[in-house]
Amino acid sequence: MELNGGSVVAMIGKDCVAIASDLRLGNQQVGIASNFDKVFPVNDKLYYGLPGLATDVYTLREHLRFRVNMYRMKEEREITPKTFTHLLSSTLYEKRFGPFFIEPVVAGLTTPTPLDPNPKPYISTMDTIGCITTPKDFAVAGTAADKLYGVAEGLWEPDLEPEDLFETISQTLLNAVDRDALSGWGAVVHIITHDKVITRTLRARMD
Amino acid sequence: MSNITSVDISRLKNGEVNLGTSIMAVQFDGGVVIGADSRTTTGSYIANRVTDKLTHIHDRIYCCRSGSAADTQAVADVVHQHAQVYTSVYGSAPPVATAAALFEKMCYDNKDQLSAGIIVAGWDKEAGGSVYNIPLGGGMFQQPWAIGGSGSTYVYGYCDATYREGWNEEETVQFVKNTLALAMSRDGSSGGCIRMCVITKDKVERHFVPGNELPRFWEGKEVVGGNTSGQRVAVAA
Repeated sequence: MELNGGSVVAMIGKDCVAIASDLRLGNQQVGIASNFDKVFPVNDKLYYGLPGLATDVYTLREHLRFRVNMYRMKEEREITPKTFTHLLSSTLYEKRFGPFFIEPVVAGLTTPTPLDPNPKPYISTMDTIGCITTPKDFAVAGTAADKLYGVAEGLWEPDLEPEDLFETISQTLLNAVDRDALSGWGAVVHIITHDKVITRTLRARMD
Repeated sequence: MSNITSVDISRLKNGEVNLGTSIMAVQFDGGVVIGADSRTTTGSYIANRVTDKLTHIHDRIYCCRSGSAADTQAVADVVHQHAQVYTSVYGSAPPVATAAALFEKMCYDNKDQLSAGIIVAGWDKEAGGSVYNIPLGGGMFQQPWAIGGSGSTYVYGYCDATYREGWNEEETVQFVKNTLALAMSRDGSSGGCIRMCVITKDKVERHFVPGNELPRFWEGKEVVGGNTSGQRVAVAA
């Protein structure tokens, strides 16, 4: 988990969620790539981040793409954040005794249905073998996880509007990775609201 | 003789603080310029992001430290004391070569216990500006320019290609700044800000380059994977 480096954070706001990651790919101390994004879309309401071993980032991404496509074909509807989380969890548990070295973070908005007309924004995280946690505030993972916990705990407050949530998650990520030698080298933030997703690349320290 | 065929980055004791680093010193006509980054790490945690790795040994002699923070501080303190005693006994400042020899003796005699890579540089009236590189085994190498620390491995090519003899103070400072910026960018154990010292007959002048004023080089354009229709936004930090 400490080979390639990288961190992801997700936060809940008022009718929106945000998910952000750094862009570093390294080999222990040496930085190799500064364009290695770790957050991927399932659709325009659901994103997930995969910090950890880089080869597993790609493998898991392709594996999930297959599974979500099968779901879409069979169910003829988009997968919800909660169901996707459970799908990810069982994918990881299948490899219980030879796991993927990834601690995923999921962030998304559930579309309203007659049974659930006012769904809350959803984030979740899990360990390398798929134990799910569904926090109400923020989810962190990666080599800067400890630092992310600290900054997020200090900066997060409930019911942040999308623009404020952007500032909060950006400062959380930037300042946490600046204390981690294996994360950084750029950052990308996605703010997901019901009508659009705004993706911004942050101007970060490149050391 | 411990294993010489592979690098052991876990050589420091558990919890010990590491000056994984980029340091350098360059001689020019009239003096030397020494420089270092400002990052100290414990594993991957950045324990100090504003460290001062340029240590005073004598009025016109400084050293740059890399490796174990504790080891290098201890050795530098001893040499600092020796330099003061020399001045009391002989009535004048020790030459840089003498200070370097003192470092060499400590680093070589205790080579099995220590993890210390030191560059000694300064000005004296016998030799003018001079630079002495004392890497891990305790050997001493006088060179016109020397680089050290974990970040130095990434900039050997840049230094070889760029260095010219006969530069003035300003050109030398620019060379040090660019080299350190490149090393700090690539090496995870180096970063923060650049601290430099210009040492000549008349002065010891400290320079500071904050992180947001570091020279920036090629950083690539697009982001691979994910969804990036995004614009680049500067978030005030």
